[in-house]
Amino acid sequence: MLAALALGGGLGTAWYMIEAGSRLSTRSFGPWMTWVAAGRPDADPYTRAHTVRNALLPIASSLELTYRAKSDSAGGRLNASCDYAIVVEGLEGAWWSIAAFDGQGRLIQNAAERYAYNADTVMREPDGRAVVTLARDARPGNWLPIGGGSRVTLVLTVQDAAWATTVREGGDKPLPAIQRLACR
Amino acid sequence: MNMIPKLPKPGLPRARFPWPRLPKRLRQVGWRTLVGALLLGGVIHITATLAVPMVSSGNAFLKLRGTLPLNRMVLLPPPAPSTQPLPYMAADAVYAMCRYDISVDSLLVTALLAHTGWTLSLHTPQGDNYYVMPAQSLRRNEVSLVVVPGGDHLGEFKPAPRRVSTQETQVPSPSSEGLVVVRAPLKGLAWRAETEALLRRSSCNPVKR
Repeated sequence: MLAALALGGGLGTAWYMIEAGSRLSTRSFGPWMTWVAAGRPDADPYTRAHTVRNALLPIASSLELTYRAKSDSAGGRLNASCDYAIVVEGLEGAWWSIAAFDGQGRLIQNAAERYAYNADTVMREPDGRAVVTLARDARPGNWLPIGGGSRVTLVLTVQDAAWATTVREGGDKPLPAIQRLACR
Repeated sequence: MNMIPKLPKPGLPRARFPWPRLPKRLRQVGWRTLVGALLLGGVIHITATLAVPMVSSGNAFLKLRGTLPLNRMVLLPPPAPSTQPLPYMAADAVYAMCRYDISVDSLLVTALLAHTGWTLSLHTPQGDNYYVMPAQSLRRNEVSLVVVPGGDHLGEFKPAPRRVSTQETQVPSPSSEGLVVVRAPLKGLAWRAETEALLRRSSCNPVKR
């Protein structure tokens, strides 16, 4: 019985550390979470196992950081039946991209064939901010369609070596707020 | 003889929590057994974590292996729900990839990194990104490099690779197999044809060493 507990505990904690991550290998900023050593050859074993298990091909985190959000800024789970506004500001000078996926990392099928915005394709407000709206139905401006399955995962990629260094050394960088607008 | 009545001790009455009673078998477990179980759990935890990169059959390299020819750069179709090659792969970019094997020859890689956001990256089969070159606005954007075996990780002696030219950077690969990825973000649908044309200029070819 104790051997079973040891086996379950050992495998269970390993699965948790590899899939969900911990403070040892990840860093969270509001709803956004990143694996700080992703892609690097000297990454910790949890990060390497996470990369392999999820079939990821990340660029080294010394140049580019990939953040994932599964909840909005208030902590509610991102859901395809709700509308959200993502306010992107403070990323001037960096190349960035924001994309929506389902819970398994698959692109969300939509008639508009729109899956992501980046620093070059997004429309900006007069004050330099960019507001991306996640919604099932068409919205004016930067509309990112969601639908299909109920779970939504947002992925924000920021390519800026200075940014990556700051984050790796424990510094904070402003990340977009995710505001829930309405739910059906 | 005066009898002094026993007074209750001052203080709060002892709370009685309904602690669950452990099964008899567990109550008989000694501390040595518990410590042993914790240690065994720790060993299993470490072994499982370290084993995942070696035993996992679903890594990115294995998923792409069937679709990518050896030592040839291929332009992938634009990511869409039906053609997405890997999970969480951004769909606002087009990709060129080359699956390489440098156990016999080295590999000459050329790419044009036209705009900000374009990257050339080299990966091991486990997904480690051991070399990356981003596009930078104030630099010559044509990249040329030779991927050569990195002797440290191959566990055997390899002769020093012949330098192809003074122009090319030599990049030692920690594994004999791997992936070259050129990512070209789209500036919009109108730029797709132009972006793909620039991306087609990327190449990877074996060179004798």
